[in-house]
Amino acid sequence: MHELSVALSLLEGIEETASRDGIARVLAVHVRIGAMSGIAPDALRFSWELATAGTVAADSKLRIEDVPLAVRCERCGEDREPRAAGGLVCPVCGTVCPTIVRGRELQLVAMEVPE
Amino acid sequence: MKYHVVQIEQNIMRKNDALAAGLRARFAAAGTLVVNVLSSPGSGKTTLLEETLARLAPRLRVGALVGDQATDNDARRLARSGAPVRQITTAAECRLDADMIGKALQGWDAGPLDVLFIENVGNLICPAEYDLGEDLRIVVFSVTEGEDKPLKYPLAFNTAQVAAVTKIDIADAVGFDRAAAYRSMRDVNPQIEIVELSAKTGTGLDAWTGLIEERLRHKLRQPLAAR
Repeated sequence: MHELSVALSLLEGIEETASRDGIARVLAVHVRIGAMSGIAPDALRFSWELATAGTVAADSKLRIEDVPLAVRCERCGEDREPRAAGGLVCPVCGTVCPTIVRGRELQLVAMEVPE
Repeated sequence: MKYHVVQIEQNIMRKNDALAAGLRARFAAAGTLVVNVLSSPGSGKTTLLEETLARLAPRLRVGALVGDQATDNDARRLARSGAPVRQITTAAECRLDADMIGKALQGWDAGPLDVLFIENVGNLICPAEYDLGEDLRIVVFSVTEGEDKPLKYPLAFNTAQVAAVTKIDIADAVGFDRAAAYRSMRDVNPQIEIVELSAKTGTGLDAWTGLIEERLRHKLRQPLAAR
Protein backbone atom coordinates (compact mmCIF):
# COMPACT_ATOMS: atom_id res chain seq x y z
CA MET A 1 0.00 0.00 0.00
CA HIS A 2 2.37 2.68 -1.19
CA GLU A 3 -0.13 4.07 -3.68
CA LEU A 4 0.13 7.57 -2.22
CA SER A 5 3.89 7.71 -2.77
CA VAL A 6 3.37 6.36 -6.29
CA ALA A 7 0.71 9.04 -6.90
CA LEU A 8 3.15 11.71 -5.69
CA SER A 9 5.88 10.41 -8.00
CA LEU A 10 3.44 10.49 -10.92
CA LEU A 11 2.47 14.03 -10.02
CA GLU A 12 6.12 15.05 -9.90
CA GLY A 13 6.59 13.79 -13.47
CA ILE A 14 3.44 15.62 -14.58
CA GLU A 15 4.44 18.87 -12.91
CA GLU A 16 7.94 18.76 -14.44
CA THR A 17 6.54 18.21 -17.93
CA ALA A 18 3.77 20.80 -17.47
CA SER A 19 6.13 23.51 -16.27
CA ARG A 20 8.62 22.72 -19.05
CA ASP A 21 5.89 22.97 -21.70
CA GLY A 22 3.99 25.84 -20.05
CA ILE A 23 0.88 23.74 -19.49
CA ALA A 24 -1.62 25.14 -16.97
CA ARG A 25 -4.09 22.30 -16.80
CA VAL A 26 -4.00 18.56 -17.19
CA LEU A 27 -7.23 16.74 -18.04
CA ALA A 28 -6.10 13.14 -17.79
CA VAL A 29 -3.00 11.11 -17.08
CA HIS A 30 -2.17 7.76 -18.67
CA VAL A 31 -0.27 5.22 -16.61
CA ARG A 32 0.78 1.62 -17.12
CA ILE A 33 0.54 -0.62 -14.06
CA GLY A 34 1.83 -4.17 -14.02
CA ALA A 35 -0.06 -6.96 -12.28
CA MET A 36 3.06 -7.61 -10.17
CA SER A 37 3.72 -3.99 -9.26
CA GLY A 38 1.99 -4.32 -5.90
CA ILE A 39 -0.27 -1.42 -6.80
CA ALA A 40 -4.05 -1.64 -6.53
CA PRO A 41 -5.67 0.48 -9.27
CA ASP A 42 -8.60 1.62 -7.11
CA ALA A 43 -6.32 2.68 -4.28
CA LEU A 44 -4.15 4.53 -6.80
CA ARG A 45 -7.17 6.41 -8.18
CA PHE A 46 -8.13 7.42 -4.65
CA SER A 47 -4.58 8.54 -3.87
CA TRP A 48 -4.42 10.41 -7.16
CA GLU A 49 -7.42 12.52 -6.20
CA LEU A 50 -5.80 13.38 -2.85
CA ALA A 51 -2.36 14.03 -4.31
CA THR A 52 -3.49 16.30 -7.12
CA ALA A 53 -5.88 18.59 -5.20
CA GLY A 54 -4.80 22.19 -5.82
CA THR A 55 -2.28 21.24 -8.51
CA VAL A 56 -2.12 21.47 -12.29
CA ALA A 57 -3.65 17.97 -12.37
CA ALA A 58 -6.57 18.68 -10.02
CA ASP A 59 -9.73 16.81 -11.06
CA SER A 60 -7.82 14.96 -13.75
CA LYS A 61 -8.74 11.44 -14.72
CA LEU A 62 -6.26 8.65 -14.17
CA ARG A 63 -6.38 6.27 -17.14
CA ILE A 64 -4.81 3.00 -16.09
CA GLU A 65 -3.58 0.43 -18.55
CA ASP A 66 -3.23 -2.91 -16.75
CA VAL A 67 -0.31 -5.05 -17.85
CA PRO A 68 -0.69 -8.76 -17.17
CA LEU A 69 2.23 -10.76 -15.85
CA ALA A 70 4.33 -12.38 -18.55
CA VAL A 71 7.42 -14.56 -18.24
CA ARG A 72 9.96 -15.70 -20.78
CA CYS A 73 9.67 -19.41 -21.47
CA GLU A 74 13.05 -20.55 -22.76
CA ARG A 75 11.68 -23.95 -23.69
CA CYS A 76 8.87 -22.60 -25.88
CA GLY A 77 10.91 -19.60 -26.99
CA GLU A 78 7.87 -17.41 -26.26
CA ASP A 79 6.62 -14.94 -23.67
CA ARG A 80 3.81 -16.56 -21.70
CA GLU A 81 1.23 -15.46 -19.14
CA PRO A 82 1.28 -17.81 -16.14
CA ARG A 83 -1.98 -18.82 -14.49
CA ALA A 84 -2.95 -16.71 -11.46
CA ALA A 85 -1.35 -17.94 -8.21
CA GLY A 86 0.19 -20.85 -10.11
CA GLY A 87 3.80 -19.77 -9.77
CA LEU A 88 5.91 -18.50 -12.65
CA VAL A 89 5.08 -21.55 -14.70
CA CYS A 90 4.56 -21.71 -18.45
CA PRO A 91 0.89 -22.61 -19.05
CA VAL A 92 1.83 -24.46 -22.24
CA CYS A 93 4.81 -26.64 -21.36
CA GLY A 94 4.86 -26.46 -17.55
CA THR A 95 8.44 -25.17 -17.25
CA VAL A 96 9.25 -22.80 -14.40
CA CYS A 97 10.19 -19.45 -15.94
CA PRO A 98 11.79 -17.11 -13.43
CA THR A 99 12.42 -14.28 -15.89
CA ILE A 100 9.61 -11.73 -15.67
CA VAL A 101 9.32 -9.80 -18.92
CA ARG A 102 6.14 -7.80 -18.21
CA GLY A 103 3.98 -7.08 -15.20
CA ARG A 104 6.31 -5.00 -13.04
CA GLU A 105 5.56 -1.72 -14.84
CA LEU A 106 4.95 1.49 -12.97
CA GLN A 107 5.09 3.86 -15.87
CA LEU A 108 3.89 7.40 -16.43
CA VAL A 109 2.93 7.22 -20.11
CA ALA A 110 1.31 10.49 -21.22
CA MET A 111 -1.06 13.28 -20.31
CA GLU A 112 -4.04 14.88 -22.01
CA VAL A 113 -4.01 18.67 -22.04
CA PRO A 114 -6.57 21.16 -23.45
CA GLU A 115 -6.11 22.27 -27.08
CA MET B 1 -13.22 19.42 -24.21
CA LYS B 2 -10.76 19.13 -27.08
CA TYR B 3 -7.38 17.91 -26.00
CA HIS B 4 -4.07 16.68 -27.24
CA VAL B 5 -1.81 14.04 -25.79
CA VAL B 6 1.69 14.81 -24.52
CA GLN B 7 3.85 11.67 -24.42
CA ILE B 8 6.05 11.30 -21.34
CA GLU B 9 7.11 7.61 -20.82
CA GLN B 10 8.79 7.76 -17.45
CA ASN B 11 9.46 4.92 -15.03
CA ILE B 12 8.11 5.89 -11.62
CA MET B 13 10.78 3.84 -9.87
CA ARG B 14 13.61 5.65 -11.64
CA LYS B 15 14.43 7.84 -8.67
CA ASN B 16 14.63 4.90 -6.27
CA ASP B 17 16.65 2.88 -8.78
CA ALA B 18 19.14 5.74 -9.21
CA LEU B 19 19.51 6.20 -5.45
CA ALA B 20 19.95 2.42 -5.03
CA ALA B 21 22.69 2.41 -7.67
CA GLY B 22 24.44 5.18 -5.72
CA LEU B 23 24.20 3.15 -2.52
CA ARG B 24 25.51 0.05 -4.27
CA ALA B 25 28.58 1.93 -5.50
CA ARG B 26 29.19 3.30 -2.03
CA PHE B 27 28.90 -0.16 -0.40
CA ALA B 28 31.18 -1.62 -3.10
CA ALA B 29 33.87 0.94 -2.33
CA ALA B 30 33.49 0.32 1.41
CA GLY B 31 33.62 -3.48 0.97
CA THR B 32 30.34 -3.87 2.87
CA LEU B 33 28.02 -6.76 2.10
CA VAL B 34 24.42 -5.54 2.30
CA VAL B 35 21.65 -7.98 3.12
CA ASN B 36 18.02 -6.92 2.65
CA VAL B 37 15.73 -9.09 4.79
CA LEU B 38 12.09 -9.41 3.73
CA SER B 39 9.27 -11.31 5.39
CA SER B 40 5.70 -11.26 6.62
CA PRO B 41 5.11 -9.96 10.15
CA GLY B 42 5.76 -12.65 12.74
CA SER B 43 8.13 -14.82 10.69
CA GLY B 44 10.88 -14.53 13.28
CA LYS B 45 12.95 -12.00 11.34
CA THR B 46 14.07 -10.02 14.38
CA THR B 47 14.85 -13.14 16.43
CA LEU B 48 16.92 -14.51 13.56
CA LEU B 49 18.82 -11.24 13.18
CA GLU B 50 19.43 -11.01 16.93
CA GLU B 51 21.06 -14.42 16.84
CA THR B 52 22.90 -13.65 13.59
CA LEU B 53 24.41 -10.41 14.90
CA ALA B 54 25.45 -12.06 18.15
CA ARG B 55 27.19 -14.90 16.29
CA LEU B 56 28.91 -12.74 13.68
CA ALA B 57 29.90 -9.81 15.93
CA PRO B 58 32.99 -11.51 17.42
CA ARG B 59 34.38 -12.17 13.93
CA LEU B 60 33.07 -9.36 11.72
CA ARG B 61 32.01 -5.74 11.93
CA VAL B 62 28.24 -6.08 11.59
CA GLY B 63 25.44 -3.56 11.87
CA ALA B 64 21.74 -3.30 11.17
CA LEU B 65 19.14 -0.84 9.97
CA VAL B 66 15.65 -1.76 11.08
CA GLY B 67 12.47 -0.59 9.37
CA ASP B 68 9.16 -0.51 11.20
CA GLN B 69 6.06 1.58 10.83
CA ALA B 70 6.18 2.41 14.55
CA THR B 71 8.27 1.82 17.72
CA ASP B 72 12.00 1.20 18.08
CA ASN B 73 11.49 -2.09 19.94
CA ASP B 74 13.21 -4.17 17.25
CA ALA B 75 16.26 -1.89 17.15
CA ARG B 76 16.56 -2.13 20.92
CA ARG B 77 16.39 -5.92 20.72
CA LEU B 78 19.09 -6.06 18.05
CA ALA B 79 21.31 -3.55 19.86
CA ARG B 80 21.71 -6.04 22.73
CA SER B 81 24.19 -7.86 20.47
CA GLY B 82 26.51 -4.86 20.88
CA ALA B 83 26.43 -4.20 17.12
CA PRO B 84 25.53 -0.70 15.88
CA VAL B 85 21.81 -0.59 15.08
CA ARG B 86 19.62 2.21 13.84
CA GLN B 87 15.84 2.27 13.64
CA ILE B 88 14.06 3.71 10.62
CA THR B 89 10.48 4.55 11.50
CA THR B 90 8.50 4.64 8.27
CA ALA B 91 5.12 5.78 9.69
CA ALA B 92 2.57 5.32 6.89
CA GLU B 93 5.03 3.71 4.48
CA CYS B 94 4.83 -0.04 4.10
CA ARG B 95 8.42 -0.56 2.97
CA LEU B 96 11.92 0.88 3.07
CA ASP B 97 13.23 2.69 0.02
CA ALA B 98 16.71 3.73 -1.07
CA ASP B 99 16.17 7.32 0.07
CA MET B 100 15.37 6.15 3.62
CA ILE B 101 18.55 4.07 3.66
CA GLY B 102 20.66 6.99 2.41
CA LYS B 103 19.22 9.27 5.10
CA ALA B 104 19.67 6.68 7.84
CA LEU B 105 23.35 6.29 6.91
CA GLN B 106 23.90 10.03 7.32
CA GLY B 107 25.24 10.79 10.76
CA TRP B 108 25.12 7.13 11.79
CA ASP B 109 28.32 6.51 13.65
CA ALA B 110 28.56 2.80 12.87
CA GLY B 111 32.15 2.89 11.60
CA PRO B 112 33.23 0.68 8.70
CA LEU B 113 31.07 -2.43 8.37
CA ASP B 114 31.71 -5.83 6.82
CA VAL B 115 28.04 -6.73 6.76
CA LEU B 116 25.03 -4.42 6.96
CA PHE B 117 21.69 -6.12 7.55
CA ILE B 118 18.59 -4.20 6.57
CA GLU B 119 15.48 -5.53 8.28
CA ASN B 120 12.67 -4.40 6.02
CA VAL B 121 9.11 -3.64 7.16
CA GLY B 122 7.16 -6.87 7.71
CA ASN B 123 5.30 -7.14 4.40
CA LEU B 124 5.90 -9.32 1.35
CA ILE B 125 4.38 -7.06 -1.29
CA CYS B 126 5.77 -3.52 -1.29
CA PRO B 127 9.36 -4.16 -0.10
CA ALA B 128 9.89 -6.50 -3.06
CA GLU B 129 9.55 -3.51 -5.42
CA TYR B 130 12.30 -1.41 -3.91
CA ASP B 131 15.98 -1.93 -4.57
CA LEU B 132 17.99 -0.79 -1.55
CA GLY B 133 21.41 -1.31 -3.15
CA GLU B 134 21.70 -4.72 -1.51
CA ASP B 135 23.93 -7.61 -2.59
CA LEU B 136 21.74 -10.28 -1.15
CA ARG B 137 18.00 -10.41 -0.72
CA ILE B 138 16.73 -12.88 1.85
CA VAL B 139 13.14 -13.84 2.35
CA VAL B 140 12.36 -15.22 5.81
CA PHE B 141 9.55 -17.76 5.86
CA SER B 142 8.47 -19.60 9.00
CA VAL B 143 7.06 -23.12 9.09
CA THR B 144 3.80 -21.76 10.52
CA GLU B 145 3.06 -19.89 7.27
CA GLY B 146 1.05 -21.36 4.41
CA GLU B 147 3.00 -23.56 2.03
CA ASP B 148 1.49 -21.65 -0.92
CA LYS B 149 2.70 -18.25 0.29
CA PRO B 150 5.40 -18.04 -2.42
CA LEU B 151 2.64 -18.38 -5.02
CA LYS B 152 0.64 -15.59 -3.39
CA TYR B 153 3.64 -13.26 -3.11
CA PRO B 154 5.73 -14.39 -6.08
CA LEU B 155 7.83 -11.25 -6.50
CA ALA B 156 9.38 -11.42 -3.01
CA PHE B 157 10.47 -15.03 -3.58
CA ASN B 158 11.39 -14.43 -7.21
CA THR B 159 13.75 -11.56 -6.37
CA ALA B 160 15.38 -13.23 -3.34
CA GLN B 161 18.48 -15.39 -3.62
CA VAL B 162 17.94 -17.15 -0.30
CA ALA B 163 14.92 -18.34 1.67
CA ALA B 164 15.56 -18.73 5.39
CA VAL B 165 12.99 -21.19 6.72
CA THR B 166 12.64 -20.37 10.41
CA LYS B 167 11.14 -22.12 13.45
CA ILE B 168 12.19 -25.46 11.97
CA ASP B 169 12.17 -26.93 15.52
CA ILE B 170 8.35 -26.90 15.47
CA ALA B 171 7.93 -28.04 11.85
CA ASP B 172 6.58 -31.46 12.77
CA ALA B 173 4.32 -30.13 15.51
CA VAL B 174 2.61 -27.72 13.13
CA GLY B 175 2.47 -30.24 10.27
CA PHE B 176 4.73 -28.23 7.96
CA ASP B 177 4.64 -29.73 4.47
CA ARG B 178 8.24 -29.20 3.41
CA ALA B 179 7.88 -30.63 -0.07
CA ALA B 180 4.86 -28.43 -0.88
CA ALA B 181 6.45 -25.27 0.54
CA TYR B 182 9.74 -25.75 -1.32
CA ARG B 183 7.94 -26.65 -4.53
CA SER B 184 6.05 -23.33 -4.27
CA MET B 185 9.31 -21.46 -3.76
CA ARG B 186 10.96 -23.18 -6.72
CA ASP B 187 7.91 -22.56 -8.88
CA VAL B 188 8.70 -18.86 -8.70
CA ASN B 189 12.49 -19.15 -8.36
CA PRO B 190 14.22 -22.40 -9.32
CA GLN B 191 17.60 -21.01 -8.18
CA ILE B 192 16.54 -20.07 -4.66
CA GLU B 193 18.80 -21.40 -1.93
CA ILE B 194 16.80 -22.77 1.00
CA VAL B 195 18.28 -22.78 4.51
CA GLU B 196 16.35 -24.41 7.35
CA LEU B 197 17.06 -23.05 10.78
CA SER B 198 15.86 -22.37 14.28
CA ALA B 199 17.09 -19.28 16.09
CA LYS B 200 15.79 -20.84 19.29
CA THR B 201 17.62 -24.19 19.22
CA GLY B 202 20.52 -23.08 17.00
CA THR B 203 19.76 -25.66 14.30
CA GLY B 204 21.12 -24.55 10.93
CA LEU B 205 22.65 -21.33 12.23
CA ASP B 206 26.22 -22.34 11.40
CA ALA B 207 25.20 -22.97 7.80
CA TRP B 208 23.32 -19.68 7.79
CA THR B 209 26.17 -17.53 9.10
CA GLY B 210 28.54 -19.52 6.85
CA LEU B 211 26.44 -18.49 3.85
CA ILE B 212 26.67 -14.80 4.81
CA GLU B 213 30.43 -15.05 5.34
CA GLU B 214 30.90 -16.84 2.01
CA ARG B 215 28.94 -14.10 0.23
CA LEU B 216 31.12 -11.46 1.89
CA ARG B 217 34.31 -13.26 0.82
CA HIS B 218 32.93 -13.59 -2.68
CA LYS B 219 32.18 -9.85 -2.84
CA LEU B 220 35.63 -8.89 -1.59
CA ARG B 221 37.31 -11.16 -4.13
CA GLN B 222 35.64 -9.24 -6.98
CA PRO B 223 37.54 -6.31 -8.46
CA LEU B 224 35.94 -3.04 -7.36
CA ALA B 225 34.30 -2.38 -10.73
CA ALA B 226 32.54 -5.77 -10.68
CA ARG B 227 31.06 -5.52 -7.16
